[in-house]
Amino acid sequence: MTALSAPAMIAMMRPVATASRKVHHATFWSGAGPDRLRRLPGKRLVTGRDELAAPTAAELSHLVLRVARSDRQAFEQLFRHFAPRVKAYILRGGAEPGLAEEVAQETLLAVWRKASGFDPAKAGAATWIFTIARNLRIDRARRKGPPPTLGEDPSQQAEAPPPADEVIAAAERDDRVRRLVETLPAEQAEVLRLSFFAEEPQTEIAALLGIPLGTVKSRVRLAMARLRTALEDLER
Amino acid sequence: MIEFHPTDDSLARLAAGTLEAGPTIVVRTHVDGCERCRNAVGRLEAVGGALLNAIEPVAMQADAYALLEARLDRPAPATKAVAPARAVPANGPIELPAALEGLEIGRWRWLAPGVRRSRVTIPGAPDADLVMYRIGPNRRLPHHGHAGSEYTQVLSGSFFDETGHYRPGDLVEADGDVDHQPRVGPEGECICLAAVEGRMLPNGFFGRMMRPFV
Ligand SMILES: [Zn+2]
Repeated sequence: MTALSAPAMIAMMRPVATASRKVHHATFWSGAGPDRLRRLPGKRLVTGRDELAAPTAAELSHLVLRVARSDRQAFEQLFRHFAPRVKAYILRGGAEPGLAEEVAQETLLAVWRKASGFDPAKAGAATWIFTIARNLRIDRARRKGPPPTLGEDPSQQAEAPPPADEVIAAAERDDRVRRLVETLPAEQAEVLRLSFFAEEPQTEIAALLGIPLGTVKSRVRLAMARLRTALEDLER
Repeated sequence: MIEFHPTDDSLARLAAGTLEAGPTIVVRTHVDGCERCRNAVGRLEAVGGALLNAIEPVAMQADAYALLEARLDRPAPATKAVAPARAVPANGPIELPAALEGLEIGRWRWLAPGVRRSRVTIPGAPDADLVMYRIGPNRRLPHHGHAGSEYTQVLSGSFFDETGHYRPGDLVEADGDVDHQPRVGPEGECICLAAVEGRMLPNGFFGRMMRPFV
């Protein structure tokens, strides 16, 4: 891949069929939840191994709501799903394995402690947990002092329980965004991953694309503009 | 009505947590007051969530859950009371943006005729180049002469250049190589929050601030 040409970027934002993946409709997590959390007919990816399928965003939100009621079983499920992913995320930023393990632990501990402030109408669980891990990553990178205000966690302004359809809307957005990201051509997905995960995104993107650092900025800017359009389209 | 917003790239870097400390505060100040950008950042954070979900997991240590479970019953440490933004700088009759909470805000200091500056220090990132300017009507904004992008958020009053008239809530993002020296509007003084990518130059800071003012 040489560059993110405009046509390539348009292609990047056009969902393509994922024919290579089998999809079925087995129920993932069996725990019962509040009635207002309708179960979505989520699509689950099946791998060759006998591995748990990917939970839908609604299921993940539902788990956080159970954690808010101090449900340890739900918490353990969230831990098993997210701790290894947060660890991988922190490792991608260049941290030592010990530090990555520690940040993953701190992130999940924060999930336990802040779950009552989680507002499933504002953000899906993965999004919420990403912002917690992100803030801890910044905090650790600066070593001392609290991180600058990065805005409250998307959940923190909860007032009243949100209407059911709003809960679904936020979770559905997570699912849609996930599908959008999953269907990106590999190289472009890598640029996006670097933008979010790398310690020095622009340097690493320059290396990946083989273009001067100075050119990366406008390319990434273009990519992000198109991504914004694609994200806005998801909500129409 | 907010007319000027951060670039998509800057919003993405805010969401990704890869924007530098100083620009993070300036862009966050804008986003807190701008519904359009708040929504955009929410969507970009959802991309972060999707990427986190899709990442190839790395196994935790075998006893990781047991270790964490043992900590669940311990009370959370009392959250350190965030120091209320150390008061409004002397003579600076503005309401400080929430994004400045917990930061150290220096006094207004004379920089040039009609131009005063207050340094804002971020705990953990003491060399971030983040300042507030308070500039009299018709004066020019100081020029940073810096390689990195410069982020300027209007808090009160207004300034303008050939590309537009910037009012409270607007954010101007200028590349360092652009000779960008807007002028404050005639209606009154302007207070803005500005950050430049890169570190403060320990000795040259004052010097490079002293490019000619009008
Ligand atoms: Zn905006």
